[in-house]
Amino acid sequence: MKLDTRLLAETPEGIAILLRPAGVVPRGLAYSLDFFIRFLAFGVAAMFLARLKGVGTGLMLVTYFGLEWIYPIVFELLPGAATPGKRAMGLLVMMDTGLPVTPSASVTRNLLRVADFMPLMFAFGMASMLLRRDFKRLGDIVAGTLVVHAEQVRLAGALPEAQPLAPRVPLTRAQQVAILHLAGRARRLTSERLDELATLADNALPPPDYAPGGTSPAPIRPGPRLIAVAQWLMGQR
Amino acid sequence: MAMTPRQFEARYEPAWLELERGLNALDAGRRRRKIRPAETGANELPTGARVAQLYRQCCEHLALARERAYPVHLVARLETLTARAHQRIYRRHDVGLAAFRHLVLYKAPAAVRALRWHLLVATLVFVLPTVVVGVATWLDPHFVLTVVDARQVHDFDGMYGQQAGERLGRTSGDDWTMFGFYIMNNVGIAFRCFAAGLALGVGSLFMVGYNGLLAGAVAGFLVTRGDSERFFSFVVTHSAFELTAIVLSGAAGLKLGHAMLAPGRLTRTQALMRAARETSPVVFCFTVMLFVAAGIEAFWSSAAWIAPGVKYAVGGCCWALVLAYLGLQGKGHDAAVLEARAR
Repeated sequence: MKLDTRLLAETPEGIAILLRPAGVVPRGLAYSLDFFIRFLAFGVAAMFLARLKGVGTGLMLVTYFGLEWIYPIVFELLPGAATPGKRAMGLLVMMDTGLPVTPSASVTRNLLRVADFMPLMFAFGMASMLLRRDFKRLGDIVAGTLVVHAEQVRLAGALPEAQPLAPRVPLTRAQQVAILHLAGRARRLTSERLDELATLADNALPPPDYAPGGTSPAPIRPGPRLIAVAQWLMGQR
Repeated sequence: MAMTPRQFEARYEPAWLELERGLNALDAGRRRRKIRPAETGANELPTGARVAQLYRQCCEHLALARERAYPVHLVARLETLTARAHQRIYRRHDVGLAAFRHLVLYKAPAAVRALRWHLLVATLVFVLPTVVVGVATWLDPHFVLTVVDARQVHDFDGMYGQQAGERLGRTSGDDWTMFGFYIMNNVGIAFRCFAAGLALGVGSLFMVGYNGLLAGAVAGFLVTRGDSERFFSFVVTHSAFELTAIVLSGAAGLKLGHAMLAPGRLTRTQALMRAARETSPVVFCFTVMLFVAAGIEAFWSSAAWIAPGVKYAVGGCCWALVLAYLGLQGKGHDAAVLEARAR
């Protein structure tokens, strides 16, 4: 489990919420994308403001300021809690307690980006992210925020439908869990691979063509038999 | 026999669906969109209290499902639901106009006063170089060249010297251009000064001290040239906001560095997080002050046609206003405000 970067945020109700912090690469890409968007926005604004002479130059400088400092804060405090770049990479900012980011935390983490940039090219921020299990840069540490992947990866889905079959022998809890988890992943596997994996549990599965009391006989291939046992474990009788 | 996953799902699913409906309604309500019962597929929407109750039930269900090692998809569904409800229920509700008012009237000045020792240090680090360099330049005008180079001295002369025209404090550019420049430049400097506090506070002190040095050099140089009235009538008004803001940003940065150096009973990370929370009203305060300063500097200070006497009077009022706001506003409520912040 030490290899896993998932974080647990405990709620007052005593349950753990899983957070998946985002690492250097997606965050770097998100930053580059934001940089490009800001660059474009400034270019477009400059094109129009250049016609306004003095007022235009002043507004251009204010726009530059806004894009550099205010842009990330505004987007992080909107409901999506992510700048357009982060959104494109499927990231969002939240407090490390799993709660929505607060205004003061967002301001802190974005002002301290300067410290992360030091001495050049985000060296401090990068070092901090690479050294920590939760990939926080300095600004995130001080503000108590976390950049996480918005979507959880779901490897297992609902079990495929099947006629239930009782296992050949009583199963321990660990065995039941293993069978249920494998059956949950059945839709993601080719039937050949499922058979191959299900063979490992052959001792627990009913034999092929096993038909107690006039029920329909058990499937021949181990994969469908494992799914049938999983359905039985689920409580279908 | 223990409850099977199917029985579990069949039995509790109505509660999960009801919680989901309640959350949808709350989300829709936040966007101020009228939601009709038909849209949610139920006649009655759960109230806030009911949602909280359902949330606690679902937490219990999730704990049971994890403990009994129910299938992954069932656990995942409950995880998603509880995480969403958790975000909704524990989100901060104190954002909006009332909170903003509280920030301006009580939190910001109280937070500034709570930093009094850091403010004292930052003020000294600003004032001492100003006085030393100012006096040294006054005694020997060539001393200015040890601080800034000849081109900058030439710029000072163009901004406030005999040949400064209608517009003081600049060599080119009109009011609006300078307004934009002051915002971009000065607010950026203050933000960097605050962030530099992460270098154990040294960075903030360096930036504050360096700005003090420059101020002293300019003032001393112009006084020896006999341009003191033009210069001081230019700076007196906006400096009330600008210099105070620079010192505030230095003090806030120093607070971060202090928390790192001497975290007390907390871990260094905890001390830093707390220092950042405590200084965030100060950050708000100096940002607003610099915006005000930029407006004054661009449109008022630079106007050469306003008599210096008027500028000194207005400038004096601004200094009194800023110091009174930071020193006195909401003073009786400090203890209550700081205690509420600690919670």
